[in-house]
Amino acid sequence: MNNDTDTVAGDRDPEETREMVRERYGTIASDGQDCCGDVGIDVTDDGGCCGGNADVTGSERLGYDADDVASVADGADLGLGCGNPKAFAEMTSGETVLDLGSGAGFDCFLAAQEVGPDGDVIGVDMTPEMVSKARENVTKNDTDNVEFRLGEISHLPVADATVDVVISNCVVNLAPEKQRVFDDAYRVLKPGGRVAISDVVQTAPFPDDIRMDPDSLTGCVAGASTIDALEAMLDSAGFEAIEIAPKDESTEFISDWDADRDLGDYLVSATIEARKPAHDT
Amino acid sequence: MKESLLEILCCPLDKHDLELEDAEYDGDEVISGTLVCSECGERYAIEDGIPNLLPPDMREETPA
Repeated sequence: MNNDTDTVAGDRDPEETREMVRERYGTIASDGQDCCGDVGIDVTDDGGCCGGNADVTGSERLGYDADDVASVADGADLGLGCGNPKAFAEMTSGETVLDLGSGAGFDCFLAAQEVGPDGDVIGVDMTPEMVSKARENVTKNDTDNVEFRLGEISHLPVADATVDVVISNCVVNLAPEKQRVFDDAYRVLKPGGRVAISDVVQTAPFPDDIRMDPDSLTGCVAGASTIDALEAMLDSAGFEAIEIAPKDESTEFISDWDADRDLGDYLVSATIEARKPAHDT
Repeated sequence: MKESLLEILCCPLDKHDLELEDAEYDGDEVISGTLVCSECGERYAIEDGIPNLLPPDMREETPA
């Protein structure tokens, strides 16, 4: 067992949580949609973690512009995010980017355009079906600076101090051991490197039926941490310049994740930024 | 995967370097082979160009 202080949704074993997440996203990769089953969370066409069914309108609500969507070949944008890390990661030519939970690769392909042929983008995802799909998308996008590995974000297969930017889009909430995720992100970053993560954060305590519902966890709801908890974890990992900014407009798409209740009462999408000190202490 | 990116990979367990064995190439791309941890000896397969770097206890659901 782990000694993490963050709450594991539903008090599940981390391994059990990972298996649930992997099963669900394997199904999404294979089927493209209908991830949410029939337990209250509604599958919509409007994007968001639960949608699994991207369209231009849905992606624009998450923060992508039409050019972003048009610049990547179909099949990579599954509409599973809750923001657009590219918009605030300030990636520049030649940088090495690591995407935690890269899915079908959409954010990686956008990052690849930012860092150019001298840069590298590596996507890590623990779902074999997603990584296979992402690799097919490499061919479709005719790019040679994006690679995908099957891996787990609290056990990153990435060497120390090799990455300029860690991005992630609506994935960290799914991780049962978030402190380990941030510790490992810190380890792989070069001194002065940064994280630019879009994720949902909890704004009010979840009722028990949300907290205990497995589909609520895998649907990017019940695993969300509070801003205070995330700040504490980033601080504990060693990061500085920690800034977590809720995006109030995100309640619009989050409200669509569930037909029966307004999840916007409990969740908001946020940008999570932090920097590894330039001189490691 | 490209062999040039091997240097930024590591063993997910102990974070030591990986060495490439039995590599088969398509151009400069490693299509299959095995990555072996220089420290603990754990072996990680590369299949269809994708290195499986999941920790061993998380691999059970992955395709053989």
